This record gives sequence, C-alpha cells and structure tokens, in this order.
Amino acid sequence: MTQIAAERYTGASVKRSEDPRILTGGGRYVDDIKLPGMLHAAFVRSPLAHGRVLAVDATAARELPGVVAVYTGADMATMTIPGQDPLFAMMGGGGPAPEYTLLATDKVRFVGDPVAIVVAESRYLAEDGCELVEVDYEDLPPVATAATALDAGSPPLFANLGDNIIGPHKRTEFGDVTGTFAGADLIEEFHIDVHRHQNVPMEGRGIVASHDAETGTMTVHAATQSVHVTRMGIAMRLGMEADKVRVLAGDIGGSFGLKIGASREEIAVAAASRDLGRPVKWTEDRGENLSASGHAREESFDVKAAISKDGDLLGLDVAMVIDIGAYPVMGTMVPAIVEAMLPGPYKLAALGFESTAVATNKASYIAYRGPWASETFVRERVLDLLAKDLGLDPLEIRLRNVAPRTDPPFPMVTGRPLAGVTTRESLERVAQMVDIPAFRRRQAEERARGRYLGIGLATFIEAAPGPRSPEAGSGPMGMEFMRLRLEEDGIVTLFTGQMPHGQSHQTTLAQIAADEFGVPFGQVRVVVGDSDVVPFGLTGGSRSATMTGGVALHGARQLKGKVLDFASVLIEASAADLEIVDGQVQVVGDPDTGIPVGEVARQAASGEFGADVDTSFEVEASFDGGEGGWSGGSHCAIVEVDVETGIVTVERYVAAEDCGALINPAVVEGQIRGGIAQGIGAVLLERSAYDQDGNYQSATFMDYLLPTACEIPRFEIAHLETVPLDADVNFRGVGEGGMIVAPPTLVNAIEDALAPFGVRIYEQHLPPARILELIDAADSQSTSSVD
Amino acid sequence: MVDITVTVNGAQRAGSVEARKTLADFLRDDLDLTGTHLGCEHGVCGACTVIVDGRPVRSCLMLAVQAAGSEVTTVEGLAPDGELGPLQQAMWDSHSFQCGFCTPGFVVQATAFLSAHPDAGEQEIREALSGNICRCTGYQSIIDGVLLAARRGAEI
Repeated sequence: MTQIAAERYTGASVKRSEDPRILTGGGRYVDDIKLPGMLHAAFVRSPLAHGRVLAVDATAARELPGVVAVYTGADMATMTIPGQDPLFAMMGGGGPAPEYTLLATDKVRFVGDPVAIVVAESRYLAEDGCELVEVDYEDLPPVATAATALDAGSPPLFANLGDNIIGPHKRTEFGDVTGTFAGADLIEEFHIDVHRHQNVPMEGRGIVASHDAETGTMTVHAATQSVHVTRMGIAMRLGMEADKVRVLAGDIGGSFGLKIGASREEIAVAAASRDLGRPVKWTEDRGENLSASGHAREESFDVKAAISKDGDLLGLDVAMVIDIGAYPVMGTMVPAIVEAMLPGPYKLAALGFESTAVATNKASYIAYRGPWASETFVRERVLDLLAKDLGLDPLEIRLRNVAPRTDPPFPMVTGRPLAGVTTRESLERVAQMVDIPAFRRRQAEERARGRYLGIGLATFIEAAPGPRSPEAGSGPMGMEFMRLRLEEDGIVTLFTGQMPHGQSHQTTLAQIAADEFGVPFGQVRVVVGDSDVVPFGLTGGSRSATMTGGVALHGARQLKGKVLDFASVLIEASAADLEIVDGQVQVVGDPDTGIPVGEVARQAASGEFGADVDTSFEVEASFDGGEGGWSGGSHCAIVEVDVETGIVTVERYVAAEDCGALINPAVVEGQIRGGIAQGIGAVLLERSAYDQDGNYQSATFMDYLLPTACEIPRFEIAHLETVPLDADVNFRGVGEGGMIVAPPTLVNAIEDALAPFGVRIYEQHLPPARILELIDAADSQSTSSVD
Repeated sequence: MVDITVTVNGAQRAGSVEARKTLADFLRDDLDLTGTHLGCEHGVCGACTVIVDGRPVRSCLMLAVQAAGSEVTTVEGLAPDGELGPLQQAMWDSHSFQCGFCTPGFVVQATAFLSAHPDAGEQEIREALSGNICRCTGYQSIIDGVLLAARRGAEI
C-alpha cells in the first residue's frame, strides 16, 4: 500500500465551505428569521438637523389597526438604563460625556435621529403608523460643519456640555520637534481634508429580539461583528444580567465596522420585545442605513513638514480636527490611532500632533475599515507634494525615507518597533511591476496627443496585529480564545468568538486546525454566532488572521497532544512515537497501526479507563499574538483623466502586499481587492453629503454612488512573505489595508495626470465636477500669474 | 386583499396579498423563499433580482399582483435538488463571493444573461452585471466565475 502524504491546506486556496449555502439562497441572514407571533418595528426619525422636540402625539398611530405599540423617547427612557453608546462605554472613549436618551426626548441632533418606535403586525403597518406620529419641533440653528462647532458661540448640541468640543484639544510631541523644525532646510505647510463617507454593507443593520417573561431571558438574533459585545450592550442598557441575554447570529451581509455592539435602534427593539412579551424584528432600510447608521472619516489636517533640500522628511507637525457627528461612538477614539500611526514605515524623527474632536448635527462617526486611514492619506499625499516641490520622483522620496530594517528594529518616533516591515521591498516590487520609466515615456507621448495619464504610488503599514513590544508583558492585541473538541464521529469542532461577515473564517480556521491536528479539511467544523457557546471575541481590526489563526493552531496542537497521550494507551506506544495523519492516529510512518480519531474518542468515552487517564477531548486555548508583526504593502495606480468630462478611469492597479504567511490566497486577495474597490469608490464616487443646513443629501443609491463592475479594474497582486517573526504563527491581518492605501494611491495618480495643468490636490473626494473645478482653478491661477 | 397564483420555481403558488405588497416581500414572507435579498428597495442594487417570464426583474420594484399568472424563478430554483448549477459551481470554484448578501442577485442576473449570451466576453459581462452592487469583492472574482461558467458551457 502506498502511503499518501497528507494534503496541506494552509497556504492553498481551499474552496469556501460557506459557498454552497450562499450560492443557492440558503444563507440565513437576520431578516430571514421568522418567529411565532413576531412583530415588526419601524422608526419615526427627525427631519431636522437640530431641533427641540416640543410634543410627540402618537394617538392616531396607536389607533391604527395592526399597530400594537408606539414608544416615544419618553416612554423608552422609562424602559431602559441611560448611558453612552455601549461600544464607546466599553472602549473608554474619553472626553466629556454628553447626556442624551435612547430615542430623542428633548432634542433631535441629526436628520434621521430616532424619535419614536412603532411596533405593528407587519413592516408595512409599522411604516403606516410612523406616518401618523405627529412630532412638533422647534428649529434650532444647525451646527453643520466642524468650523461652526469649533466656535465657542455655536449652539451646543448637549446642554450638559455648554459647547461642541467633545474631545478637547490635546498636543503631544515625539522627538525634538522644535529643534527639527529649526534645523530644517525647508518647511512646507498644507491643509488636507478627508470627506465623510461610509460603510454601506449590502445588508443594513437588523435585529430580532425575543423576550421570555417566564424565564426572564432575552434571545436576540443579530447582525453583528461580535455576539458578546452585542450581548453586553443590550444587557447594559436593558438593566439585565448578561447571562440572561443570548445573542445568536447567522450569516451577515457585510459590515466593515458598522455592526459592532448594540445601536440605539437595536436596544429600543429589545426593550419593546420585553415590554410586549413578543418577538420584534427591525430591518434597517437603505434610507435609514445611509442617513442614520453612521458615517466616517470627516477630518481635516493642518500639516507642517520639515524637510532637507535632498528630500529627507525630518519632522511633521500635524493638527487634526475630527467631526464626530451627533453622538460619540468611535470618533473620539480615532485621533490617538492616527497619532500613533502617522510616521508609517518612515524614519521620521520628530512628530508634533494635536487634535480636537467636535460634535455636529450629522450622523455619528462610526468605525469604517481602517478607521485611522487618514494618517496614510495625509502622509502619502504630503510626500508626493514635497517630491514635486523638490523635483524628486515619488518612488525616490519614499525609498529615501523608509526606515532601514535593523536589529533591534528601528522604532517609529511614536514608539512601536518596525519589526519585519518590508516597505522597501514592496515599493520596489510595484515599481518593477508597472515599469515606471516605460510608463513615463508613454505618458509623455499621450500628453502630446491630449490624453492625460498619471501614475500614483502609496505605501502603508497596519498593526495587524502589530509587533510585540520588547518591554510589554502582554501581546500586541490582547488575548484570543478558542474551545476545541474532538467528537466521537471524528469531527474536530472549533468554537470561536470571531463573527465572520464575509471573511471566510469557517474555511480558513478549519484549514489551519486540519493541518495542525491531522484530519481532512471536511472533518473540522467551525462554530460561530452563539453567545452561550462561543468564547468572547470580536471580528474587527484585522485581528483574526494572527489572533484566531494562532489560537486555532495552538489549540489544535493542544488537543492533538491529549489525543496522542490517550492513544498511547490504546496503541501501547509512546505518545512521542505517534502521529495523526488523515484522521488516523498511528505509529509514525506505520499506517497499519492506525486508529481513526473518532474511535479514540469513543473508546475514551467508554469509561473503561482509570481516573488517572485524561479522556476529555476538549481544550480551552488562548493565544496572545506571539511575536506579532506588521502587515503592509505598496500600491500603484495608473489612471486616465478625461479633462473635458472630469471622468477618471483606472487603467491599471497593482499591489505588492505583505501579510506574512497566507492561509488562503484566494481569501487574502478577495480582502485586498474589496478594500481597494472601497477606496476607489471613496475617491471617485462616494460622499455622505450634507447641505449647509445639515440636511442629508445622500439617502439613496442614486445619490450615494457605489462603484460597479464597470468602474473597478482588474487588480494585479503580488505577495511578499519575507520576515517571519514568530516560531509558528506568521499570518497577519489583511482586512483593512486595501481601503487604507487605495485613496492616496489614486489621488496621487490623479494629481500626476493633471500635472500639466499645475493642479495640486489637498482633498480626497474627486468626482468629475471637482476634477473640472481643480483644472479650472489651476488654469486661472496660472493665467493670472502670467498676467 | 387580492388573490393571486404565481408559478414559482416550477410550482403553482397561491397567495392573498395586499395590492401594495412587493413581489420580493411575497416571495420572502408569504412563500418563505428568503434567498431573494433586499439591499435597497429602490431598484439600484440588484440583490432582489428574480426571473419573471424569462427576463430578470427587480422584485422590489414589482408588485406581487403584477406577477399573477407569471412564471418566476428565484435563486432557490437554480439549484432545485441542492446540487449547484453550472454557474454556481463556477462561482464556487472562483471564490466569487464573500458575505453572500448580493449573491442571489448576481447568480440570477448572470444566469439570465449567460443563457442569452453564452459567448459573452469580459466587458459584456461587466456591463451586464453593472446593475448589481457587491460591496465586498471588487467584482473581479464574480466576473471570473461568470467567465469560467461561459467557458465550461462552450466546452460542453
């Protein structure tokens, strides 16, 4: 008999076990849940950006046949515990805490602010009921921009604060900022804006809450990135013990940071279910999703750069203002991450960083794929602007400033060591892939024919998970947990707190565990989405590759050790001489001695073995991230700008990425491509727009434009896997990088295309109309300077 | 309420619906065919695409009463015995999707398109699918799945 070597799954593009279900309509998303006696909720929302609620009259709505209940903000206040957003509260968001109610009572603070919830026998009837709720408002002057909010005289959104400064001005210096700027050859100043845009998963938020008064328990079906965080949020705001709340989640139609914790609407639905003793469902519609679920990224930066005449970036001094919208969720937490990450992979020796967070009458700032991404936009944009002024090539200025890979690793000026970072290699790789000199020749030829091509380059690093700090006692990203069990049918079950919503964890974690334990891929089952069963965890921050991949590897190893110990009794061989190959425990190299792992579990369960033999095949594993490491990469885009229409076409897009060892290359590339596509959308199409009075302008897909298959090109992706830091776990996160680095890559390319017009770009959103304005403005400037 | 009969995935289904009820809600709520997803309810995202009398339509923009007497095929009807159809198989092989929410719309739209244009090239496929939005993938893997299905179809 020929021995067939066990297949190795890790590193192969194993087909997803999720797919047969989702391809046939068998996915189970939260809106697919139907419970006996289930009611449907809809929200009455504010039409005003800023107003006082004078009266809410729900009489007519309550009388409508089919409407079961209407809860106003005042009703809801008696049914819930006051408090901050649960995510903000859990993460210790900082800054002064504004006081507000779950549904608006005294004031509304943005268009879409929930004012009342109508519960009815169908969603149609709930929406009919909403039409009949009469709300009297008194208009208040809107605080529609950060500039207005910074004015101490602007009307405060929150009475208990007195002004609209939510994150007070704070300044920190790293390195010798004063000395660096005093000694620089040149100091340049820029103002850079990043516009408001948003997650837009294809499935909005949603919940089915079902309270059982008999047992005092609440069962929640949720679309969430963490069943445990949702459980904590709902328990906290409903005044319940956490163990009385069970959160279940099935398939989730994307999130990108939106669905963390428990939103005000979800808490209100749970409270309504408890009050009514019936299950209540709420499915966010697209208008609600675009106007009220939350937005991200509205930030501005005043940047001072200290440089040498040769192009050394010596120091940066950056003042950031972040517009967190109406209610603190994520916004106040962003500046600290921007500050830490601003140096990027460069040997920048001095950084001054200051920030202020303000509240405005717009939707709340929430997490969106790479929430700190503006640091990369600012840095990579500034490098191109400086290169232009110094007459340097964008590749050259980056290579000149990239920190060397040294031992011990070169530290970022903000502290973390740049261990194992391959920025130089990824820059060189993309340059080679596109052949920059050949492009420059073609660019010159095409310009002569009136076609404007441009090339743009940008690079990033992401702490996914980040390096282990030499002095820190703990790992780079906290702990990750997993329970693993060998069943009597030979299935290895992994219980993880990860809550996949497109990341393919049911496939990738099974690949790792199958290899490490020694069973076929199909013999590993990954259980997610039940707070009664899975350990604490959260899918977010690109943590799962290292943290959960790592705990799957170590947990499988631990479980295998137990199985081998027990099997050594059965086979009468030392555990050290045993292996598990293709689901059989055997003496190394001798398949004839093999016993199926399920048989081992069955025999152990027979009870024939003494108390001194460990027959439990379940382990609780944890992993601290090991040595960790950075992921990162460099991207390069070639664009054509039609200077008559302002339309930008992405002709070519290449990426050289380093996320360490790939678990599943097709999954990794899917994450990269999806992130880049969102970045392209952010620059060319997407904007969560408000008018000057705070009226929301982008509440449909005809107004909030998403990229389609016609705007997104093919992507060419190269993988670098150069610097392993850990003995076992060198998978690194890749969920956010595409979205972080695509915007500067694209904007750099667009500016390069428009170089003949003298266009300089200090913003991120460049739809056709804006491109034409930039060309016109640059034109008239050059004309007037000639005059 | 209006009584209607619709042939859905080959079977006659009767229902009693409000005139305002959309075809999508009829399929999802009355017939429990939850494979048809609602991504925008204003006809842009394509997640709710079903085939009505041979043509792909947005079931969020069509009323159930308008479908009375019609033949409707949903994503569930493309794999009647749980076996993947050729396009679904090609999409699995191509790692076409991530979160899966837009998937039924793409599968249905691409099925309708390929049956009319079995020899379509990449650009035609991109245009044919430009009324379906995917937020996860950047489209390349979806296009690759459709191209693979077309190629396999040509080989048969």
